[in-house]
Amino acid sequence: MSTDTENTPWMKPRSGDFTTKKVERPTRDFEVQSYLPAVTKGLVQTMGAFFKNTKEMILGQKKDPVIESLSWGITTISYPEEKRPYTDRFRGLHRLTIRDDGSPRCVACLCCSTACPAQCIHIEAGEYSEGDPRRGYERYPAKFVIDELRCIFCGFCVEACPCDAIRMDTGLHAVPYDSREQFIYGKDLLMGMTGRDGSRLTENPRHEPGDPDHPGIDRERAH
Amino acid sequence: MTAQAPPGRPKPPNTIKIDGREIPFEPGDTIIRAAWRQGVEIPHYCWHPGLSIAANCRMCLVELPPPAGRPAMKLDVLQWDPVKKDYTFSNKPKLQPACQQGCSPGMEVLSESSKHVADARAAVQELLLLNHPVDCPICDQAGECRLQDYWLEHSRKGKRMKQEVVHKPKAVSFGPTIVYDAERCIVCTRCVRFCDEIAKDPVLDVRERGNLNEITVSPGRQLDNNYTLMTEHVCPVGALTSKDFRFKARVWFLRTARTICQGCSTGCNAYLDFDPRSNAPHRHRPRDNKDVNQYWMCDLGMLSYKDAIEGRLLEASVGTGPASIDDAISAAKDLLGNVAQRPEKVAVILSAQHSLEDNWALFTLAKTYLGVERFFVTGKPLGKGDEVLLSEDRNPNTAGVLKLCEGNPPRALGDLLKMADEFDTVLALGGHVEVDAKELGQALKGKKVVVVSSHVGPLSKLAKVALPACSWAETDATFVNKKGRVQSSERALHPRGSATPGWQLIGKLGRALGFATSWRKLSEVRKAMTGGEPASISGKQTEATA
Repeated sequence: MSTDTENTPWMKPRSGDFTTKKVERPTRDFEVQSYLPAVTKGLVQTMGAFFKNTKEMILGQKKDPVIESLSWGITTISYPEEKRPYTDRFRGLHRLTIRDDGSPRCVACLCCSTACPAQCIHIEAGEYSEGDPRRGYERYPAKFVIDELRCIFCGFCVEACPCDAIRMDTGLHAVPYDSREQFIYGKDLLMGMTGRDGSRLTENPRHEPGDPDHPGIDRERAH
Repeated sequence: MTAQAPPGRPKPPNTIKIDGREIPFEPGDTIIRAAWRQGVEIPHYCWHPGLSIAANCRMCLVELPPPAGRPAMKLDVLQWDPVKKDYTFSNKPKLQPACQQGCSPGMEVLSESSKHVADARAAVQELLLLNHPVDCPICDQAGECRLQDYWLEHSRKGKRMKQEVVHKPKAVSFGPTIVYDAERCIVCTRCVRFCDEIAKDPVLDVRERGNLNEITVSPGRQLDNNYTLMTEHVCPVGALTSKDFRFKARVWFLRTARTICQGCSTGCNAYLDFDPRSNAPHRHRPRDNKDVNQYWMCDLGMLSYKDAIEGRLLEASVGTGPASIDDAISAAKDLLGNVAQRPEKVAVILSAQHSLEDNWALFTLAKTYLGVERFFVTGKPLGKGDEVLLSEDRNPNTAGVLKLCEGNPPRALGDLLKMADEFDTVLALGGHVEVDAKELGQALKGKKVVVVSSHVGPLSKLAKVALPACSWAETDATFVNKKGRVQSSERALHPRGSATPGWQLIGKLGRALGFATSWRKLSEVRKAMTGGEPASISGKQTEATA
């Protein structure tokens, strides 16, 4: 918290602590009417701020935006360069989590698509080929498309997922693109996104079908 | 069961009481069948109204209180006493499977109202789910699975077994159409009994015992009879899945229309399941109708839903080029010219593939307005039938066309080939023909051929003007099966391409030719068909029981 409490024109006044200042209308004297001197004055002020901001940004002298937002006074930040920290549970762009071997954890059950109130998820299921240990146990998404323009970021898809395959923990939000097509995120892009900490795996490991050291019994082992 | 009342005493009425509700029964009924007839659900897996009784799932257990003055049959049990924190000796009534227990007059049955029954059902449900993989997310049955439904209704508990489940073969191919997952199977043997009793091809059986048992195909055989998809349909869980439907859709996205199967002249009642979002049909299911198909359908019929999208004529054409419907109709008008002046030169081909409405429209236009006398009928060529449901005649409306032309029966298309020289104009419905396409091409060479068809076939390819009609899935339609039963079919899909109901196209064509073919609505067509001249379809419009 800043200890600076004096009333400066660029700071928000404390509530209940208003001071008024009467501002005189500028006189229409020669300096004003001739235009150029006033413009020059204004430009000097603008460029001064520009150089000061640039210097502070390069040297890293700007105040921490969090500290600054808590203090009295200016709460704006230079957005694209500075970002406000999002909470841990912020729902950002989706990502598809992957397994150790890089394949998607998604089994194309369409639960997310069913739960989605905006109907922005399109999935086509595929079956593992003959001989794959996962055949019969699982299927995979041959297509997985999310329309991020339609998405309302409610997080129902994450709640609905029985496999922890879809998450919204990227910490990103959709940036403005040139065209609508760019908001249509495909399977590869979604699988390529990472969590905010840069990791791609999920924390809960899963039992993979067809493990040779399966604890269960089957027909061969029972006899 | 049909207890003869002693002389002098009134015979008790043939009713039983289930949870205090009077349920009438017919002689020979079991409790579950009598209840099922009245729409009272007693939960069950292995019982099916069309199959023999196995009584192996034990889900339908009910309590039968003894008659007055007789002791109840009791079983000694150890019961956990939560107060004493110990097992105590107790007893409970011996429950009976409702699927096997016959009805006798005045019998009392406790189903929902008995705590013992509720406990038994929960226990059965827990047992059936002990080794179940609970892979509902990837199971096609999810959403219409008895295990899911009954778990919600009767169990609602987590699993207590901590051990790893028994693992059994998964995704076993049983044949060209069916995949089997032994882990999901509850071995109710419905599929086995279906193959034995209905398909008369005992190719499935159960192997092993206890929690290792599974369904298996006879060595050296595949499940490849005409009714393989029915085994998937009777399976109450996701053990048998159809390769055709596998992983294509989730059932809760599908909507259903009551249609008539287009596979053959049996006219099985069916449900057409379709996805309204993509306007795509996904499967045919049998719709129970004890007068036609009972509970069954053949593979050919169940896969015939594909005809709603495959091989369709979707755009009108004039010559070989595409055209709008209006252009095609005016082209047809120019082509036909003063056709009403020379009705003896006109051959009209009705189609056993198209609905009664379409055929009636063409018949009325030709007979009433053009004065044509000579009608022909065509459709798909004969196939191989069987003794269960599948007919040799692969057309759904042959009987309808014959009935339409009563008194002046239409000739087969083969006759048209022989007397082709007598005609210069052909008005036809439907694309498929039962004759050789080459011979037909030679016979119709240089003739003015106008065809209204839902599917592409030799006839629509030969047409100078072809108009795209709706398939059965895209419009309400009526079909007459081989026994003369008039059955209506509901619209499921939106028309694809520029398809329009056939009777509408024919009405438009008639108006373009200058006739008062005034029908514009389906209700007008049906009214004219049943009440007006000249069509005389007198059969009662029968609505199948769902």
